[in-house]
Amino acid sequence: MERRWSRRQFLGRAAGGALAVPSLAAILAACQKPGTDTSGGGGAEATTGPIPIATPENPVELPLNGEPIATDTPIEAGATLQVYNWIDYMYKKTLKAFEEEYDVTIEWTTFNNMEEGVQKLVAGQVQPDVFFPTTDYISRLVERDLIQPLNHELIPNLGSVVWPSFTDPGPFYDLGARYTVPYTIYTTGVAYRRDRVDDADAVAQAYDLLWNPEYAGEIAYYDSYRDAIGMALIRNGVTDTNTNDPAAIDAAKESILEIVNDLDGQIRINGTYAKLPEGEFTVSQSWSGDIVGAQWYLPKGTSWDVLGYWYPDDEPGMIGNDTIVIPTTAQNPRLAHEFLNFFLSEEHGTENFASWNGYQPPFTSLEPANLIDEGIVPPALDRAVVTENMFTTGLIQSQLPPEDDKLWLDAWAEIQTGG
Amino acid sequence: MSDTVLDRVAEGVSSKATPSRGLRNPWRKPWGLRLVTIGYLAWSVLPVVIAVIFSFNSGRSRSTWQGFSLRWWTQDPFNSLFNDPSLRAAMFQSLKLSLLTVLIAVPLGTAFAIGIDRWHGRPARGSNFLMLLSFVVPEMILGVSLFLLFTQLLQGLGLSGTPAQILGLVTFQMSYAVVIVRARMLSIGPEYEEAAMDLGATPGRSIRRVLLPLLAPAILASVAVVFADSIDNFVIVRYLSGSADSEPLSVKIYSAARGSPTPAVNAAATVMLLATVGAVVVGYLLYRAFSKGQRGDDVTSIASQV
Amino acid sequence: MAGAEATTSTTGERRGAGRADEAAGRSGAWFPRWYWPSFTVPGTAWLLVLFVLPFYTVMSVAFGTVDPLFRTPLPVYQPWWWSFDTFGETLRKFYAGDAIYQEPLLRTFLYVISASLLCLVIGYAVAYYTARYAGRFRIVILITLVAPFFISYLMRIYAWQSLLQPDGYINDVWGLVGDPVTWLAGRPVTVILGLVYGYIPFMILPLYGSLDRIDQSMLEAGRDLGAGPWQTFRRVTLPMSKPAILAGLVIVSLPMFGDYYTNDLLGSERTSMLGNVIDDAVSQSGRGPEAGSLTIVLMLIVVIPMIYYLRETRRAAGHA
Repeated sequence: MERRWSRRQFLGRAAGGALAVPSLAAILAACQKPGTDTSGGGGAEATTGPIPIATPENPVELPLNGEPIATDTPIEAGATLQVYNWIDYMYKKTLKAFEEEYDVTIEWTTFNNMEEGVQKLVAGQVQPDVFFPTTDYISRLVERDLIQPLNHELIPNLGSVVWPSFTDPGPFYDLGARYTVPYTIYTTGVAYRRDRVDDADAVAQAYDLLWNPEYAGEIAYYDSYRDAIGMALIRNGVTDTNTNDPAAIDAAKESILEIVNDLDGQIRINGTYAKLPEGEFTVSQSWSGDIVGAQWYLPKGTSWDVLGYWYPDDEPGMIGNDTIVIPTTAQNPRLAHEFLNFFLSEEHGTENFASWNGYQPPFTSLEPANLIDEGIVPPALDRAVVTENMFTTGLIQSQLPPEDDKLWLDAWAEIQTGG
Repeated sequence: MSDTVLDRVAEGVSSKATPSRGLRNPWRKPWGLRLVTIGYLAWSVLPVVIAVIFSFNSGRSRSTWQGFSLRWWTQDPFNSLFNDPSLRAAMFQSLKLSLLTVLIAVPLGTAFAIGIDRWHGRPARGSNFLMLLSFVVPEMILGVSLFLLFTQLLQGLGLSGTPAQILGLVTFQMSYAVVIVRARMLSIGPEYEEAAMDLGATPGRSIRRVLLPLLAPAILASVAVVFADSIDNFVIVRYLSGSADSEPLSVKIYSAARGSPTPAVNAAATVMLLATVGAVVVGYLLYRAFSKGQRGDDVTSIASQV
Repeated sequence: MAGAEATTSTTGERRGAGRADEAAGRSGAWFPRWYWPSFTVPGTAWLLVLFVLPFYTVMSVAFGTVDPLFRTPLPVYQPWWWSFDTFGETLRKFYAGDAIYQEPLLRTFLYVISASLLCLVIGYAVAYYTARYAGRFRIVILITLVAPFFISYLMRIYAWQSLLQPDGYINDVWGLVGDPVTWLAGRPVTVILGLVYGYIPFMILPLYGSLDRIDQSMLEAGRDLGAGPWQTFRRVTLPMSKPAILAGLVIVSLPMFGDYYTNDLLGSERTSMLGNVIDDAVSQSGRGPEAGSLTIVLMLIVVIPMIYYLRETRRAAGHA
């Protein structure tokens, strides 16, 4: 009753069977010469073709890569809404309110910076219902069919609560707001502790605050390559924050390396909102929302007067906004529309901002002039308030063409290795 | 031990063999080594003890004590361990991953060890080499390789998240089970099974009724080792994680440490610590029960195999 | 973990190789030829699919191309179409032009060697004391030595991060003798000690196992012949524990080469290691082939200690 199997036969069949099934699709797809097949990433064929790069001077109307969901789609009941967002970027009480109103659960997957976030989305490791990209990724996400068009009838607050310019004509990166709604608006400046730095000195030194040897060991800089290199460019006198000039990028890189190597600086995303209030840093690169939100991280007994923020008032500074989009892989697109509408509502959007987030939403009801009087923004942080006309003069970062992006990423790689 | 005997012997030995520093007995216990050992044990244990204590801090600092409070355990409405579902989900995921990994890796590894001990020839050595390679390769290399495997080659299979993490963990941990069980097999000869088969048992029964009970201490040891190693695994599970529900506590600690950690993270880590210690204690008691009357292994030799 | 094959083979509990072979030969007559292999085949198949295949994927990614839009990796699975451009470019970053990877590489070697040696010195002292002098405290000490295996590595380093904050206890103590230091602002000392703290348990237990097995009578013989404690140590104990020392050094240094999280929590870009370089390449969209190439480089670096360790354990197991 002995069966004679040659070991080789057995191993051969076992190995062959194991390898055949999973890799068949991949190998068939890869049978053509590499580089000829342009559909990677999201896995779907590109239906729209290349989209020109959007800038404030050349706004882009994104082509529709499909139909938005029908208005009469029922709201998914008892679902788990997958939210994919920055860490510490939404008020948990607002999320709980949404969960209670719709009787659903929210699962919040976090990323620490945009590059990390996009990487996982494009690789398909996360399949969220809601995603919060920066504006320089929108065209690419549409081109790769990673996000779906929105049904404005399901997001009434977009028309009634948000600044009209975000729908008519719409932002430069998404004319007509076909795919995006704005989440927050912010400027990028320098935060400092007012108990260690004089306000007058801060204004005098401007960006050089971050390069001041007096604060060595107490400097933080953002772990986000566009903002980091962008600010160094401005400090060195280059006002094009989308430049592809290798010399300018190199000089910016050297400046940041100076912070890292000579001034004991730290590159991290939580320098301003979490560590500056604790006293670990004295000066840090800061988004306006981070320093306003830092008031919630102050130790008991420390007044919010210690928080300071500098942003240029006579020259253009960095400004931008974040968006919310619905990926095509969303399992609960109807509920996702409700989520967008919820965060754009006056009641919840304002609570999100005023009670915790610190990042201002572009609501017509929020008069920038009143924010300090109403106790939402600490009095010392008047430069952290964002107004609509700042967008006309401000420096906005737009998508970089691949070759330019490579220059920036290579410079960033060198910074990350300590140069 | 025979320390007292040695001491008595040493009294009679002339101390002129070593340069005298005025010490009476050169063979008495070295206080220098004792100091180093006590110092090391304190250095090893204190940071964790302090971290556990700080989970009861009343403020959000993990470094400045601001008073005792259960704020981060139960009271804070959004961020305490009790009220923040994300921390509980992370702990649950750690447990889930480690239990499933143990369930797959230990039988796979035990079978591998039994087979490799009895099977001779070139293919056997090849398999053994492959297993030893997986034992020795740094986790980072395996982590990146598995990440690229699951996001490129096996992308269409939708295995991201927990399934990929289990597959990766078993690959990493199987060799631990093999090594531990194999070591035990080396110390058991084939006589027991042969005796069983002389008495009429089939090969299957002799393995089930004779070999496996003999291997029980080693199997239990590998369960403990694989469990403890998987529950705290970081590199592989981080690269293979998908959305938040597949992020175990180790990844949560890492993300929080780079964001805004609160003592609630300390609390979650404390719970995991207690769970793991509890599991190990249970495992040890079971091990003692199983190996009563068997020769060879005691705590110290198992410890040296770890 | 450490050298189980090496230590158990020296217990001498195996009844002799000759008799085992004889028994195996006899049992071959009772078991079909596929019987024992079938125990090993599932594990081998698993390793082939989930251990060997991933390495092939790494090479396919490293030698593949990139999709231009998101610069996601497009792996090329057919070796005849492999392109070594990215790999060459990555290698050049180690020695040519700006050589941006050269410093992390040198730093990695420096930190790993320093940390491993520190692990050895401290670990040997502790293992020696526990094996020789612990007496009735031995069980307690062993439990404390084994405990770190059951505590998450991340938790232990996170605990240190809290202690090393500017307002943490380390500065409170240090403040007694000097100005507070920013320990977490990219100091090699912090990272090296962090590595030691994390990996030293892997050194102590094998050393303890080996020292525990040294026959007491050998030491007494040395003593009877008039040698002092230091000479006995140098001439008897140290040579007998050499295999465990080497095994321990390899076991401790191999994971350190790929470590990145210790530096992430305790250091900064200034102290970045090879593991950080790889992690950055993996975590950012657009650098897939570079990540694959860097992984291959890391494999090449650790292959020598790995092969050494494998041969040592095979040789030790062969003694049984």
